[in-house]
Amino acid sequence: MRIATDIGGTFTDLVALDGQGNICIVKGDTTPPDYERGVIAALEASGIKPTEVSDFIHGATTIINALTERKGAKTGLITTKGFRDVLEIARCNRPDLFNLVFAKPRPFIPRHLRFEVEERVAHDGAVITPLNKGDIAKAVEALKKEGVEAVAVCYINSYANGAHERETAEYIRELWGDVFVAASVEVTREWREYERTSTAALNAYVGPVASRYIDKLEKKLEEAGVKAGKYFMQSNGGATSFSWAKTAPISMVESGPVAGVFGAAVLGQIIGEKQIIALDVGGTTAKCSLIDGGEVKITTNYRIERDERNAGYPIMVPVVDIVEIGNGGGSIAWIDDAGSLRVGPKSAGAMPGPVAYGRGGTEPTTTDACLVAGRLSAKNFDSAVDIGAVKEALMSRVGGPLGVDAEQAATSVIRVAESNMYNALKLISVRRGYDPRDFALVAFGGGGPMHATALADELGIGKVIIPVAAAVFSAWGMLMTDLRHDYIQTKIRMLDEAAPDEWNAMWGALLEEAKSGFAAHGVQDSALAYSYYADMRYAGQEHTVKVQTPAPSWDDAAKAEIVERFHAAHEHYYTYRLEGVAVEVVNLHLAVHGHMQKPELNRLEKRGKDAGIALKERRRAFFTGSGWLEADVYERAALPAGARIAGPAIVEEKAASTLVGAGWALTVDDYGNLIIERAGAPANEGRDGK
Amino acid sequence: MSFTDTVTLDIVKDSLLAIGDEIFYGFAQTAMSPIIYETLDYACGIADADGELLTQGNGACGFIGLIAPMIGEIIGKFGKGNMRPGDVFIINDPYRGGGTHLSDIGMVMPVFYEDEIVAFVGNKAHWGDVGGMSPGSFTTDSAEVFQEGLRFSGVRLMDAGEINTDVTDIIFANVRFPEAANGDMWGQISSLRTGYNRISELCGKYGKGLLLQSMARLMDQGEAAARARLKEMPKGVYEAEQFMDDDGRGNLVNIKVKVTISDDEFVADFTGSSPQVMSPVNTGYSSLCAGVKVAYMSIVNPGLAVNDGVFRVMKVIAEEHSVLMCDAPAPTSCYYESMLYALDTVWKALAPAFPEYLGAGHMLSVCAVILSGAHHKSGLPFLIVEPTGGGWGASRGKDGETGQFCVGDGETYNVPIEMAETRYGIRVEEYSLNTDGKGAGEFRGGSGAVRSYRALTDGQMFSASFGRNKFPAWGADGGHDGSYNYFEFHRADGTVEGPMGVTARTILNNGDLARMITCTGGGYGPPEKRDPERVAADVKDGYISLEQAEKDYGVIVDPGTFAVRGLKRGEA
Repeated sequence: MRIATDIGGTFTDLVALDGQGNICIVKGDTTPPDYERGVIAALEASGIKPTEVSDFIHGATTIINALTERKGAKTGLITTKGFRDVLEIARCNRPDLFNLVFAKPRPFIPRHLRFEVEERVAHDGAVITPLNKGDIAKAVEALKKEGVEAVAVCYINSYANGAHERETAEYIRELWGDVFVAASVEVTREWREYERTSTAALNAYVGPVASRYIDKLEKKLEEAGVKAGKYFMQSNGGATSFSWAKTAPISMVESGPVAGVFGAAVLGQIIGEKQIIALDVGGTTAKCSLIDGGEVKITTNYRIERDERNAGYPIMVPVVDIVEIGNGGGSIAWIDDAGSLRVGPKSAGAMPGPVAYGRGGTEPTTTDACLVAGRLSAKNFDSAVDIGAVKEALMSRVGGPLGVDAEQAATSVIRVAESNMYNALKLISVRRGYDPRDFALVAFGGGGPMHATALADELGIGKVIIPVAAAVFSAWGMLMTDLRHDYIQTKIRMLDEAAPDEWNAMWGALLEEAKSGFAAHGVQDSALAYSYYADMRYAGQEHTVKVQTPAPSWDDAAKAEIVERFHAAHEHYYTYRLEGVAVEVVNLHLAVHGHMQKPELNRLEKRGKDAGIALKERRRAFFTGSGWLEADVYERAALPAGARIAGPAIVEEKAASTLVGAGWALTVDDYGNLIIERAGAPANEGRDGK
Repeated sequence: MSFTDTVTLDIVKDSLLAIGDEIFYGFAQTAMSPIIYETLDYACGIADADGELLTQGNGACGFIGLIAPMIGEIIGKFGKGNMRPGDVFIINDPYRGGGTHLSDIGMVMPVFYEDEIVAFVGNKAHWGDVGGMSPGSFTTDSAEVFQEGLRFSGVRLMDAGEINTDVTDIIFANVRFPEAANGDMWGQISSLRTGYNRISELCGKYGKGLLLQSMARLMDQGEAAARARLKEMPKGVYEAEQFMDDDGRGNLVNIKVKVTISDDEFVADFTGSSPQVMSPVNTGYSSLCAGVKVAYMSIVNPGLAVNDGVFRVMKVIAEEHSVLMCDAPAPTSCYYESMLYALDTVWKALAPAFPEYLGAGHMLSVCAVILSGAHHKSGLPFLIVEPTGGGWGASRGKDGETGQFCVGDGETYNVPIEMAETRYGIRVEEYSLNTDGKGAGEFRGGSGAVRSYRALTDGQMFSASFGRNKFPAWGADGGHDGSYNYFEFHRADGTVEGPMGVTARTILNNGDLARMITCTGGGYGPPEKRDPERVAADVKDGYISLEQAEKDYGVIVDPGTFAVRGLKRGEA
């Protein structure tokens, strides 16, 4: 039995798959501050025998919560002499351009806990000033006195030579056994000192919290009888062992959200879709990500607490490239100063939640609008819905100011919410040189299935997939994960400047490091698969394009192939290529997958073309683009494999509702996924610009 | 108009704003000049068929509203009837619409749909070099615009989609880094084309009529929001006057403003400011307006979407041939000094009436550094053109920010040390806060920064313009003044030159060090009202000294424990 548990803001989800491929789903409560309690409760509720668990994969908001709630450890920082303020100066930027009383992000480590050490490495890795260990000892003394629990170390140019940093970290551990030490090069070896310092600082800040949490969870699991391998989901879409996770907890910062995207990629492999746009609509946000050729995209340009007005804090670790907007089921509808209707980013959250929840919410949300628009059934809510209160909220906040009735207010809210999602989906596709018509839309989360065919209509997408376990799909994704670690090394060289052997030597060093890392955590070389990438640019540019490269050893032909792939990628993203301009490598990126044994998915037992047995009712509902239509409503769990349904129709399940728009036809596949395809040719958008 | 239409119009409007974002971020990704891709010293905008601004993405705040006048200039010169799909125009004339200095290259492209111009897209970006007397083109000792590089008063760069190689040949033969210029030029063109395509797609999807209606709604909403806010503002006449450093020849330059806020107008009148000068600190009218727009936006609503509707109630008056409305051939390399002083003077005039939006004075100047020379490893030429961060003033309820770029910058990034050391022939020896402890107040001014470059090859050339060098960042509401921006040279032989605020092409040889120090912002409120515990914490963090705690704040702090030992404050 393989089990995944995903702790979210409100719910702790459990999804399990037994040896026969049968799925078990539990949705339990999240139990702060003792999050492990909810995990154990979900395990108990599942009825699964702990001794039968073969792998336990876990994702949690523990790390991100420690950061956003500022509940990490008191942390010190050690830097190169002359640079203790790098963390505070940051990048000098002010996203909130016209706000002249703006506040820049406060550093997680205040100035009196930042210490300088005499040492210096040049940009090429040469040591200019040797490491002064006396300075380290002095800093440690002072930090001890201050009662810090964690120490971050980041030196200038350590990406090119990390010896001083490693030596410092070792020396601190030697002097002070029980402090959490985080050297920047242990998590990232990319250039940009502020970003690397910030990454080390935040890694140290969450280190003690993460270690305590993982230890507690491990203990509880052991006590419950789970002896199996225990893995933590990372932001790169792969898992790592508990022990490895504790050394770089910052790598788990987005563990939950990325799992859904990863799950979409895995689902695509199973059903033969390689070009996927994943859309996850939860309570407070909508997240989307593009999967090209079956691969999730990884970026290290990640920041927490960054938005249009705030610079946020960089964390330079591999994270699945996700665009997130404040538009979920709980997002609040309001009228702005200019008189335009807006939805989100403010959310009613879980408490009080939408008006329809009856927990005291008074502000209308997308969920409330969907209820009034017939897209959700009042019968599907946990408690009785006061539809009068829902309509009243819509009228007072939206209908009244706009001079329309409650139904029109509701449909307007839906249209604006979908427009927001549409712009986010364009951001990850059209803006990056992808034609959405080449993709299938995999929609999940509580709200994804409700908006999917409407958004697909807008984007010209011809195929929509609503996976099984749509409402707990992140946990499903974790279930399907492999071990993964990324090794990224900044190495700025013109591709032609270095001979193939030099490149091969660099790859060799990365491979060696990867193998010994996995071996130290009990994974044999034979179970590993390697992917090779280079972040590249034209000489003189700054920003890079990630290109998958042939496996080493490289020869001249391989180099020529890489150059051509780069030209093509640059043209794809930015519409032009600069033939003849030298091509430069900035980073080498090795992605290592450790294969984990996974059971085959089970197929639905019930088969049959007739969906009629699952028909529940017929009701009026609003379909974006078509207006109000009479729609058949089906119970998803009762649908047999092979069943066909023509839109307009609604398919309901616990915690999600799928809208099949007019002109769309749904088929239930062998696994129970809903495959929704548009009848006729996809819409054609003009793209004739000069 | 029916109700459903207004929601559709808003959806089209949002799409239009999203296009504005797309062309803005797309450009940075491909640019060749670090000043563009790191400091985002550029702007992209979309205007309607009459050249009225619909949306603008700015990296540098000071570029606000410069795109539309540039488009207007091109429409006026060529006439819409003489434009064809695929045309791109290039313009950087400081004295014409949208002008700043020659380094900022503007490009304009008409967007056609069904043989009719439905919109314009434009962008403006600071190229690393556009020729002229000095590497990096903008300099501190030019006396005429002709020394500052190539000047385009509106020229057709692309003709119906074909690049005009006669023009590009002239460009590449006259700039120091033709490859970078080529890369930046194509980045700008590519961004314009993306805007063109997206707007045509929008027309195709919703129809031209709806798009045009949506554009009108966007601007009307902007105007309505601005008018509504104007009605709430305290009405009156607000005046301020201050010297900006000098004209480079020892003569102080005066900046004077009278801001009148009435029920339906915001007027900034700079009559009485100094005449234009023979050094490159003059600004053209377009950039003066941009400076005023920043101050205006800050009190109208900093979060409001920028379009020309918002500015319909704003008016700027200046005298011809003045330092704030110069004409040819006045040099304008460092135009931002007078533009920012104008902005700062409006800020100072309005601060007492708008304490929730405007605090004490900040570092003000871009503190631009231009350094050129040969790389120590490759021997190849390099060029640094970058702003320097500094301290901001405190405001009601909040200490000033530390190490931030001046108001004229914005979503602008410093060049990482590790990148600088790789690309340039220098070693960065220090990047820290300038904890001079100035700017005392109930809320303390934010510390400036110290950044030092050690030259690793001979014959490097250093130019810089650090305004606010002679007059400090001003305190407000009883807060003390902050400090001054300056730089100094520490020669390899131990001699020190400086401090100073302006230099042109000073030679640095291997081992020489240039040290840039920016000011601490002004304080807000009387320092004796500051919470003693916060004063003690400031000492512990090293933002102020023990002596300053006692002398400026009347707080005696224990040097060992940093606890408050006692107060030496008079009766409040």
